[in-house]
Amino acid sequence: MSTHDEATLNTNYLTATKGWKSWAFTLDHKRIGLMYLVFVLAAFLAGGIFALLVRTELMSHGPTIVSGPTYNKLFTLHGAIMVFLFIIPSIPASLGNFILPIQLGAKDVAFPKLNLLSFYVYLCGATLTLLSIAHGSVDTGWTFYTPYSLQDPEAATKVLYMTLGVFVLGFSSILTGLNFLVSIHKLRAPGLTWTRLPLFIWGMYATSIMQVLATPVLAITLLMLVFERVFGLGIFDPKLGGDPILFQHFFWFYSHPAVYIMIVPGMAVVSELFATFSRRVIFGYFAVAMSSLGLALVGFIVWAHHMFTSGMSEFANMLFSALTFLVAIPSGVKVFNWTATLYKGSISFAPPMLYALAFLFLFTIGGLTGLFLGTLNTDIHLHDTYFVVAHFHYVMMGGTVIGFIGGLLYWWPKMTGKMYHFGGATVGAWLTFIGFNVTFLSQFVLGSRGMPRRYYDYLPEFESLHRVSTFGAYILASGLFTTAGVLIHSLAKGRAAGRNPWGSVALEWKTQTPPVFQNFEQTPIITKGPYDYHLASDEELVEDLYAPDAAE
Amino acid sequence: MSSPSDATAHDAHPHEHPSYVQHHFDTAAQQYDTAKLGMWVFIATEILMFGGLFVAYALMKAREPDVFIAGHHYLNKEMGALNTVVLLFSSLTAALAVRSSQLGKRNETSAWLVTTILCACVFLVVKYFEYSHKIEEGLLPGRYFGHPFFDMSAAPAFHEALPSRANMFFGLYFIMTGLHGLHVLIGMGILSWVLLRNIRGEFSAEYFTAVDLGALYWHLVDLVWIYLFPLLYLIG
Amino acid sequence: MNAHAHHDDGKVHAHIAPALFYWGIFGALIFLTFLTVAVSYVDFGAANTVIAMVVATIKATLVATFFMHLLHDKLFNSIVLVMSFVFLGIFLFLTSEDMSTRNQLDEANGARRYVKNGEIAPSAFPHTMVVAPHAEGHGEGHEKVEGAHH
Repeated sequence: MSTHDEATLNTNYLTATKGWKSWAFTLDHKRIGLMYLVFVLAAFLAGGIFALLVRTELMSHGPTIVSGPTYNKLFTLHGAIMVFLFIIPSIPASLGNFILPIQLGAKDVAFPKLNLLSFYVYLCGATLTLLSIAHGSVDTGWTFYTPYSLQDPEAATKVLYMTLGVFVLGFSSILTGLNFLVSIHKLRAPGLTWTRLPLFIWGMYATSIMQVLATPVLAITLLMLVFERVFGLGIFDPKLGGDPILFQHFFWFYSHPAVYIMIVPGMAVVSELFATFSRRVIFGYFAVAMSSLGLALVGFIVWAHHMFTSGMSEFANMLFSALTFLVAIPSGVKVFNWTATLYKGSISFAPPMLYALAFLFLFTIGGLTGLFLGTLNTDIHLHDTYFVVAHFHYVMMGGTVIGFIGGLLYWWPKMTGKMYHFGGATVGAWLTFIGFNVTFLSQFVLGSRGMPRRYYDYLPEFESLHRVSTFGAYILASGLFTTAGVLIHSLAKGRAAGRNPWGSVALEWKTQTPPVFQNFEQTPIITKGPYDYHLASDEELVEDLYAPDAAE
Repeated sequence: MSSPSDATAHDAHPHEHPSYVQHHFDTAAQQYDTAKLGMWVFIATEILMFGGLFVAYALMKAREPDVFIAGHHYLNKEMGALNTVVLLFSSLTAALAVRSSQLGKRNETSAWLVTTILCACVFLVVKYFEYSHKIEEGLLPGRYFGHPFFDMSAAPAFHEALPSRANMFFGLYFIMTGLHGLHVLIGMGILSWVLLRNIRGEFSAEYFTAVDLGALYWHLVDLVWIYLFPLLYLIG
Repeated sequence: MNAHAHHDDGKVHAHIAPALFYWGIFGALIFLTFLTVAVSYVDFGAANTVIAMVVATIKATLVATFFMHLLHDKLFNSIVLVMSFVFLGIFLFLTSEDMSTRNQLDEANGARRYVKNGEIAPSAFPHTMVVAPHAEGHGEGHEKVEGAHH
């Protein structure tokens, strides 16, 4: 990092320093967040293309565009890329990196060098994962279940690349979590007490706890899998006397918290959106904050509900089924409190708010269908059907991804300094919402009728619903591409955004747009909560959508 | 975490910043507390990572206790105990290094750090002898159990008396001690770097964060061994 | 800042223990090491593991409390350490809930053997944990189905 004088520190972070080195070696959390954003979105595009290929193959019964083995690789890649390269880093590493220190009133995260390291570790992990594609790609599903991941002798190199890639990506996730956890503890601005923290920070805090406590177990699981493959240890491989269900325990002890590593940031974003666009203090602030921590805790004791039909003991099945219902409590707290926030609020339907409302709708469906799956008896029938596929897409995509796009549209003017076209963004939001429901509501029906997941082919009577789902996927894709087009257009032709386009009273809107290199020219002193609209002066609530001197 | 070039980069800043306090911290104490918490969170991740292996060990032992009891008789208790003493002593010297650094005694700090690194070397040498015995005897992980590469006739026949699943026990033994050994190596690297910075005179009674954190990491290596030793060598 | 309000001057104030104190802790650790090695020559059966783990935990606590300065450190650092063990405990406990109870209900219902050839279904605890209402011959696995009357 080169020497920065006072003037540089108080210049727009995008232009404060110049040259590619000033980006590649930057320690500025805002630039690292932007770089993460670029790669995360690229992963989203890649995962999305694989999804479209999978859906196209399933459009009609019998072989459509690819062969069976290729299909297995396509859905594995879709899952692995979406989970490990896109959703897990999406909100924390890109939006979180950008917004979290600003919301804290800090100049940076606690460990800026670790932050940059985490970004490059992410790139290394992504490269390793892509190398597995170059070697012909794996077909184990994103879960790498034994013995699938052990039995094919020809797949050795590919599986090793993929598992090592995910192993490395885990470290990137750990470093981000560690950085955020420590930043939230130690870098809060004067007056920013725990009960004045924005709910986005509370969500990031819960996420960080899970990243720090769960991801190391994934690392050791994958390491053991590699050793199982290389040395034939006989711990996971049933052929050698090992227990394949033990692998599933190890895997889901990480991957169930990982589900909450994915959804809690989505909840964190929409909590901000509901407050801003309803002009109200979040109803039950403390309950919503604690429910994030509650989800983090509960996430560690319900993992084996992914394994009801695996041959786990009947006692454990009942135990985990009962524990799973605990999840409903913090989730319910959130949904009810968001709804109560809307009540008598002054709601505006700006594009980010459309995504927040979509989140509320879709997450509720995703959460409620989870009850069918958490209940042991019904899960025996629905396990490994499209019902499960639809359920977790409602939570992962309808929850996290929708929350991510909402957050992206919300903070986009702050991050880039440009305001996008509202009409285009609104059309994109509606297309996404409609396309999503068409795609996945039909899959609930398919699943309840017995269509198994991950199958290349199906009975002719499932064809019509599969076709509906595929067309829904195309609508969904058009919505996402519309949104992408609107955002790219804003970079080229958008008008300069104002300091506080949404009339929010939260801290991140008090600094310049885009923020200066050190976030605030003077360390802010916090005297009230992030949603205290009832205490705000009239000037604070003005929506300056565009910068005053911006040319038409 | 902070190199001098970074710290001096912000000399123009209006706050009264000592050169070792990074730009985004207000005070030395805030920076120190932050670094410490970061290290403790990192230690927690390490515990969870090693913990995964311990959980695998515990579950496999509950499942096949005979294998573990038969296997652990082939580990050298004396060498394990010697290494325990070496690591405990190195933990002491690491703690004393921090103490000297807190008192601003630079040369004393260097001496304790050197002692710690030497202990780490002794540990690895003992480990080397242990490993080479295991390899000579064919007590290897998984499918390599009992000499696939070497002359079978040269191998002592005793492992025929072991249950066939003993290969799993030795697999766990090599992963657990191997990962621990890797941490010893990394710890040596970290302590050497701290030693170098200490010799360069970067630390003082006001600023000794890196010595403290390096020692914390080293104690973690010790902590893991405190559990590894009885589980592998003593009770099998 | 509220997180470190008691450091009024913003400087680092670390507790510095006398060198002799650290040597004392080291002595205790060496004593415990010899204790645990000595005890390992006596067979206490199932208590072997418990004794070894208790001694190891005392040693670990000594290292964490004094060598790693937790005693005079921020409370939250201790919480972080304890929480890592708590979550590890959750992992071990709930996983062993599965491993140690596998096939119990099937056994009680006499459904544990394959009907065709009477073979015992694979179990997580083939040698030790079989809970059998019909006592004779669950070890070899080639008997006829006996539990049909259940």
